[in-house]
Amino acid sequence: MGDPDEALLARVADGDPAAVRALVARKLPRLLSLAGRILGDAAEAEDVAQETFVRAWKQARAWRPGVAKFDTWMHRVALNLCYDRLRRRREAPTDTPPEVVDDGPAPDRGLQAMETGERVAAAMRALPDRQREAIVLCHYQELSNIEAAALMGVSVEALESLLSRGRRALRAALADMVGD
Amino acid sequence: MTRDGFEALAQAYGGDMARWPQDHWDEAALFAAQQPDLAAGVLAAAARLDEALDAWAPFAVSHGLREAVVAAAPAPRVRRGLTAWIWRAGAGAGLAAACAAGLMVGVMLSEAVTPVSADETVSASLANYDDLTGLVNGEGA
Repeated sequence: MGDPDEALLARVADGDPAAVRALVARKLPRLLSLAGRILGDAAEAEDVAQETFVRAWKQARAWRPGVAKFDTWMHRVALNLCYDRLRRRREAPTDTPPEVVDDGPAPDRGLQAMETGERVAAAMRALPDRQREAIVLCHYQELSNIEAAALMGVSVEALESLLSRGRRALRAALADMVGD
Repeated sequence: MTRDGFEALAQAYGGDMARWPQDHWDEAALFAAQQPDLAAGVLAAAARLDEALDAWAPFAVSHGLREAVVAAAPAPRVRRGLTAWIWRAGAGAGLAAACAAGLMVGVMLSEAVTPVSADETVSASLANYDDLTGLVNGEGA
């Protein structure tokens, strides 16, 4: 299957302003959401998305079709940038306690009042990094299992295990919403 | 496909079988046909979680971010070396041809509209005057 971004990328390499805007419209929301969901921070997500595009612009003229899909390559770059930030977070000492996520169905719990989206976001943030990455890549970014496994550097079986454990944890955290 | 296998796929990939790995589609469809109630229950439970996950909206792209990304994009290609020379030579030849064509058109137009001399103008006017004089005197009737 060909790369759907190939023709657009060739025009970007020639500096076609319309092609630049078309590629930005196609990829920027996708990359921003990827970084936002992995990092859980809007400002950091913007930095990652912007830096990914800086690298993409440099790559545009040297891009060799057929080696990889451009969308997958951009995901690879963005994920690496996210990993760098997650690593720095882990290494940096912090006084901020980890966020407490409501994992019970009792209706009088404080987080019960949160909007559904905010609750999902909180539950996703509470997942281990690798489980969150697997769910973000497969569910939200709609990558195939092979693409997601390759991006994460794991086998498809390992990816499926991460997905299953992640979704099980989410089901438990959101049990009052999704049932058992 | 076993029940465990079907449940494992739903647990990993969600309640929409179209999003499952393609190499499992046939077996999963066969299982769903053989155990429709069980399959429907498994898929519905997975779909409820999918629906909840979808409530986490994508991050909105700000105008500032979009314009910053666009501003960093490659500029139109600048021609260099032999390509630039050929380009400039071509442009120069075109310009020269346009100038020459303009010159020729100018010459042709100037020939077509060059006014007659003052003497010829006066003679023509006098001839017309003579014609009119003749008419007044009844010579042309």
